[in-house]
Amino acid sequence: MSSTLKGITLKGSAELVAEFFSFGINSILYQRGIYPPETFTRVTQYDMSLYLTVDPNLKTYLNDVVTQLKGWLFDCTVQKLVLVITCLETNEVLERWQFDIECDKTITGSSGTREKSIKAIQEEIRSVIRQITATVTFLPLLETACSFDLLIYTDKDQVVPEKWEESGPKMIADSEEVRLRTFTTTIHKVSSMVAYKRTDCI
Amino acid sequence: MDGMDDETTVFTTLKSFKSFISKPETSQKPPDSSLAHHHLQRQYLQRIEMEEAAEKICSKTHLLQMAQEKQQMELSHKRARIELEKAAHISARDLEREVDRNQELLNRIKKLEEREAETTRTLNEQMEMNKTLKKSLEGENKKLEEKESVISEANKTNGALRDEIRELNHKLKKLDMQLTTQSTDNQGLQEQLELQRKKYQELTMKFQELQATQSLNSDNELKIKELERRLALQEQDSVIVRNMKSELARLPDMERELKRLREENSYLRETQENSNLLREETEGLRRKLERLEKLKEDMVSLELEKEKQATVLQAWENLSEMTGLNIRKPEDLSREIIQIQQREIALKQQNHSVTSSARALEKARAQLQGEVTDLRTKALEEQKKREQQDALVRRLQKRVLLLTKERDGMKAILESYDSELATNEYSPQLTRRVKEAEDMLQKVQAHNLEIEAQLSKAQEEIGTYKLQTQKAEMELDVLKKQAPGAENSSFVMNEEVSSLRQKIEELEAERRRLEDQNNILEMRLEKHNLQGAYDPTKTKVIHLRMNPTNIAKQQRLDEVEHLREECQQLRERIRALQAGGAVTSNEGTLSLPPSQEVLDLRRQLESAELKNQRLKEVFQKKIQEFRTVCYVLTGYQIDITTENQYRLTSVYAEHMEDSLLFKASGPAGGSMQLLETDFSRTLRELVELHLFHQNSIPAFLSAVTLDLFSRQTIV
Repeated sequence: MSSTLKGITLKGSAELVAEFFSFGINSILYQRGIYPPETFTRVTQYDMSLYLTVDPNLKTYLNDVVTQLKGWLFDCTVQKLVLVITCLETNEVLERWQFDIECDKTITGSSGTREKSIKAIQEEIRSVIRQITATVTFLPLLETACSFDLLIYTDKDQVVPEKWEESGPKMIADSEEVRLRTFTTTIHKVSSMVAYKRTDCI
Repeated sequence: MDGMDDETTVFTTLKSFKSFISKPETSQKPPDSSLAHHHLQRQYLQRIEMEEAAEKICSKTHLLQMAQEKQQMELSHKRARIELEKAAHISARDLEREVDRNQELLNRIKKLEEREAETTRTLNEQMEMNKTLKKSLEGENKKLEEKESVISEANKTNGALRDEIRELNHKLKKLDMQLTTQSTDNQGLQEQLELQRKKYQELTMKFQELQATQSLNSDNELKIKELERRLALQEQDSVIVRNMKSELARLPDMERELKRLREENSYLRETQENSNLLREETEGLRRKLERLEKLKEDMVSLELEKEKQATVLQAWENLSEMTGLNIRKPEDLSREIIQIQQREIALKQQNHSVTSSARALEKARAQLQGEVTDLRTKALEEQKKREQQDALVRRLQKRVLLLTKERDGMKAILESYDSELATNEYSPQLTRRVKEAEDMLQKVQAHNLEIEAQLSKAQEEIGTYKLQTQKAEMELDVLKKQAPGAENSSFVMNEEVSSLRQKIEELEAERRRLEDQNNILEMRLEKHNLQGAYDPTKTKVIHLRMNPTNIAKQQRLDEVEHLREECQQLRERIRALQAGGAVTSNEGTLSLPPSQEVLDLRRQLESAELKNQRLKEVFQKKIQEFRTVCYVLTGYQIDITTENQYRLTSVYAEHMEDSLLFKASGPAGGSMQLLETDFSRTLRELVELHLFHQNSIPAFLSAVTLDLFSRQTIV
């Protein structure tokens, strides 16, 4: 984090948000049981213990995505990041974790700074991750083998980089939505929510 | 005997011969009679007869000779026959033997032939075997060569191992030495142990003796205690007896006293019963008293209440009289009160409506007053304006007059000029001036007209204002009139207010509806946003091509493909299995190797079988052991011939087939029955004694054993 305690730059903000996504996605994957719990290791971040994957393939994939995302955050061209959980048997989308990103486009490059301490931002991030952890209590159990995908909503004029391709929004046909907390670095505002397939039994 | 027969035959022949000789004279007579008829024939016949007779004599002699010869011959013949018969017998026997031998030989030949055939067959087989063996021998030779190489290697290792063995032997010897020393030590220790054991045995013996004595001691002690107890009892008894004696002396007095006391007692009992009755009565009375007191108190209170009630009633009656209403009961009153209250509520409502209308009217009045004041001020202003306008009008009229005069003057001058300057050269100038003046005039006139129009307008305005003020004053008056009355106008006002209110409500409702709609739309927008909808003109969704979902799907497809292949293979295998066993083994080895589970199961099966085998062996061994032990201990070998039948053969049985047969009947061989055998028939006494009288099979068996044993020892 390149910023001082008092201010925050665009670069620092992008890094903070990208770091949040890295931990948030790992948390969701652990909490929702997409990957077996033994492939995760405990680390301490944001003054709380979180789980990070040790699966090499998953690690490289997440690294690729987060690095690319950091660039787009710096360019302020990313609108949403969506984690889609798909059932492998039926190819049905069961859960959709959506993170809306609002960028303050008035700040460019490393020029301007904003007044907000990292501590306060991290406090907000911590509460968001806590909420993600708590959602396990009401989300329906994933009974089938599932996999996940990360979608990024970018501006229309954004050039699609190599290895990336356009995708559909992968929406859930009949969903329940729950809005989660929001945090802001004053440059990027990330509001999170989860949509899940409505189950008949309830 | 045969000889005798022969002689008799000889005699009989002789007799017959004599008789035959004597016969011919009698027999010749019939032919003589025939001769008389036939001489020649007779002579011939005589001759012939003579010849025949001679011949007959000759033949008779001959016959005799022959007969003698014959007899001899017959004798010899008989002898020969006898000999021949003997020989025939012998030869027949020989023949039979020969025939037997022949048959045997034939059988042998047949057997030999069969054997030969077998041997040829076996030979062929052997040949084939030989061939295969040769082949295998070649293989074996190759293997042997390989093995030899291995053996040579092994020999080398053997050498090394031998060295090791030598060393180990050395060690072993050392260890043996140690072992021998140890064993000697052990022996010494064992001897010591023996000694110790003996000592221990002695000690145990002593201990047992001691225990026995101790037990005796304890018994004795117990006896002593018993006796002591008895003694004490005796002493007590004696004391008691003494006491009893003294008491006995006192008995007559006591009896007298007892009588007296009994009488007293009966008297007292009676009195007690009386007193009990009295007590109960008093108790009953007390309770009655208490109840009565309570009743009294209740009565007092009730009376008080009654008085109160009476007063209340009086008051009610008075009230009814006073009010003159039809109140006789509290229900009436309550009904009245309810009516009154309803009336009051209605009145209150009216009052409220009236007051609210009054308030509304007052508000309206205040508004109107404000309007009136405004209008008054406006009217004043208008009046002022009018005055100003009037003044202005007057001034303008004056000016108009002046101007008309001036114009007239000017016209006169102009006319004069015209008349004068008809031919004048200044005329163009003048005409121009006139024109200018006329223009001016026209302008002025237009201005005038405008002003006049303004004036009229202002006047009209004033008029309207005035009208308005008048109206307002009128209204004010009306309101002033209405204010005290209020009632009349309140309806109108109410209507207005209500209509206004309705409008307000309608507007409010519409506003709310619109707000709701707005909210719903916002919610929908939010929901769409939550569901991940996006504006495709501004946004696009991208993701990494090699994302985990795609990879997982690919893996899944591969897996399905793999499983399908496996399924296909398995199906083929099943088909092959159904087709025939021989092919399957090949295919089985060709197709997938057995899974780990199958291997494990096989191993388990093998181990289970091995276990079973071992158990069987152990069981067999144990059973054998048990049987031999039974045999040695009881002297009977027990065999199970058929179900529920047991054959017992004694050790000391005289014959192998001497055995006893038992049949088990009842559940699990509960009772046994002796079955009759050849051997058991000889033991009738023992059966009688032990089975019928004593009803004990073991005793019977022991008796049999003893019996047999004694017989054997005697022999």
